[in-house]
Amino acid sequence: MRALVVEDEPLLNEELHDQLKDEQFIVDSAKTLKKGRDFVAGNEYDLILLDLRLPDGDGLELLKMIKKYYEETAVVILTARSEVEDKVKGLELGSDDYLAKPFAMPELRARIHAVLRRKFKIKENEAAVGKLTVNLDHLEVNYDGKSLDFTETEYKILRYLVLNKNKTITRIALAEHIWGSKVDDRFSLDFINSHMKNIRKKLDKAGAPNMIQTIYGVGYKLQMHETQQ
Amino acid sequence: MKLSNKVLVSNIILSVFILAASSIGMYFLIYKTVYDELDNHLLQHKIDIINQLQDDPSSIKAIKKMGSLGSYEWIDVQPYDGAVKPQGNRFATIDTARHSEQIGKERYRRLTTAISVNDQYYTLRVYEEVAAWNSIGMTILLSVLAGILIWILLLYLLNQIIFDRILTPFYDTVNSLEGISDPSDLEGSFPHSSTYEINVLNQALNSMMREIRSSFEDQKKFIQNASHELLTPLSIIRQKSERTLAKAEQLDQGTIKAVHDIQQTAVRLSRLSNALLLISRVENKQYNLDEQVTIAKVTRSVLDELKDFVEMKDLTISTDLDSNLSVRGNKELIHSVIYNIVQNAVKFSPESGTVQIVAKKDDTDRYFSVTDEGPGIPPDLLDSVFDRFKKGQNSLDGIDGDSSPGLGLSIVHSICRLHKFECRAQNIEGDGAKITILF
Repeated sequence: MRALVVEDEPLLNEELHDQLKDEQFIVDSAKTLKKGRDFVAGNEYDLILLDLRLPDGDGLELLKMIKKYYEETAVVILTARSEVEDKVKGLELGSDDYLAKPFAMPELRARIHAVLRRKFKIKENEAAVGKLTVNLDHLEVNYDGKSLDFTETEYKILRYLVLNKNKTITRIALAEHIWGSKVDDRFSLDFINSHMKNIRKKLDKAGAPNMIQTIYGVGYKLQMHETQQ
Repeated sequence: MKLSNKVLVSNIILSVFILAASSIGMYFLIYKTVYDELDNHLLQHKIDIINQLQDDPSSIKAIKKMGSLGSYEWIDVQPYDGAVKPQGNRFATIDTARHSEQIGKERYRRLTTAISVNDQYYTLRVYEEVAAWNSIGMTILLSVLAGILIWILLLYLLNQIIFDRILTPFYDTVNSLEGISDPSDLEGSFPHSSTYEINVLNQALNSMMREIRSSFEDQKKFIQNASHELLTPLSIIRQKSERTLAKAEQLDQGTIKAVHDIQQTAVRLSRLSNALLLISRVENKQYNLDEQVTIAKVTRSVLDELKDFVEMKDLTISTDLDSNLSVRGNKELIHSVIYNIVQNAVKFSPESGTVQIVAKKDDTDRYFSVTDEGPGIPPDLLDSVFDRFKKGQNSLDGIDGDSSPGLGLSIVHSICRLHKFECRAQNIEGDGAKITILF
């Protein structure tokens, strides 16, 4: 999953960046509105943490842009406690949640999880397909109650497929959600296949039915058929 | 050829020519004068003799007998033999011997004339040796020529000094023009000069540079804005294709292929736009270059980002990183430089290959280098590998997808230029390429 941090305070920016990285996000960070706009213009994010008071303009402008082009992106606004009006305006413009500064990291984590649960329409911090469960914020994959040994990259691929179950995910989108858009896709795409092979092998070994379908020329789809239940 | 050298050469040629012409002219002038003087001298003798004979006609015998008047002259009086008309004077230069017993001949000027003494005509020949006169002529000629030569040399030297002085502002202008490869390179403007022409030149250059600089700035801003504006529509195209492909089961193979191609092209185009945007931001100097960046730290974070690919290709990364090596610059940009270079090395390395990363300082240099064992850089690209956008080669490679190093090195180049780092690419004997950044 991809996240963007737009925050001008360098230390907080770095902390948010590290926090999200710990939660297995691919993170871009911007310290100005301009830089934030560059990122948003070219990339679709799953989550954006947005500070409204930026040195070169109003974060609400960026929020408008995000909501205009990317309905599915979850946005959490970060504001100073006094700026009630901003909060209201932000929520009206479509932000998914807000957090008043200063805040504790656990609180931020909880809000992020809540927002993502809503986005992916799940109840727990776990996404499940049949007997397969994938934890959202740390590397944990279970099948039928048994823990499976996944690498970080395999976990990220599986998590994204599970969260977007029944949808075909293109290999380019998958590659960007694992490695970000910085890496050259002409070479990253080749690696998706070999990872996918390993994931299938591990699921198969755990006794899971073949849930990951290859859509030829497009990508992959994680689907549970009635008969596989 | 430099203007001052040209002037120097034409001055020398002109001087040599003038010297040669004036030597020849001088030679004839001096000899003409010397011979005229000599002839006058001979005529004076004649007049003296006539005067003497008028006073005492009988002295003709004594003159005849005496012959010589001085050591360099002598007189020969013969009865009139019709060699010249009466009253006529004839001058000639001859080689003759004065006495029959004398060995060898001398050069003499001879005046042949006719005189009458007591109504008797005589042919009078007055001889005068030329050698002494010649040597006078030669002395005069040489001293005049020496004078001219000294004059020319002095003039030339003075000219050179004055010329240098006068041309200094002109050469200042020329030198600063030579140093410009980009309109933003020129700091300040061309100065005011007391020489009218140079002043006109400098003012014209100033106004032209202002125009060029401002249109160049505009152009760079335009590229920046254009590449930024392209990102959003491209992103929409990508999303729409992604959404279409999400329901792939409802589409036929042809549609899937078409939408997939659309998506792929949009992705490549947005990469291209992003690269352009970054390069134009760098060229528009929109970054703070005042951060202290530790190369080893940035390299480790890049290696962490690329860890997946290193593991999957089973590459060995051998590092030699000096943790004290830090440079002044922009952290984000330097990260981008190292990321692009290392990514290229990882991309082109064969399976199980080794990538060598060195960040070191020795006595003279501080450098960062990455060596891979890949196929190396194609020889025809080696010189321009950092300059893909500029050289107007196939910059669409970024979209078509091929095995060339792509846009990454253009980014590296422009960032290095901004930081005044030097970047080099070379092929290693056998296989592999080495990219070096000198800080």
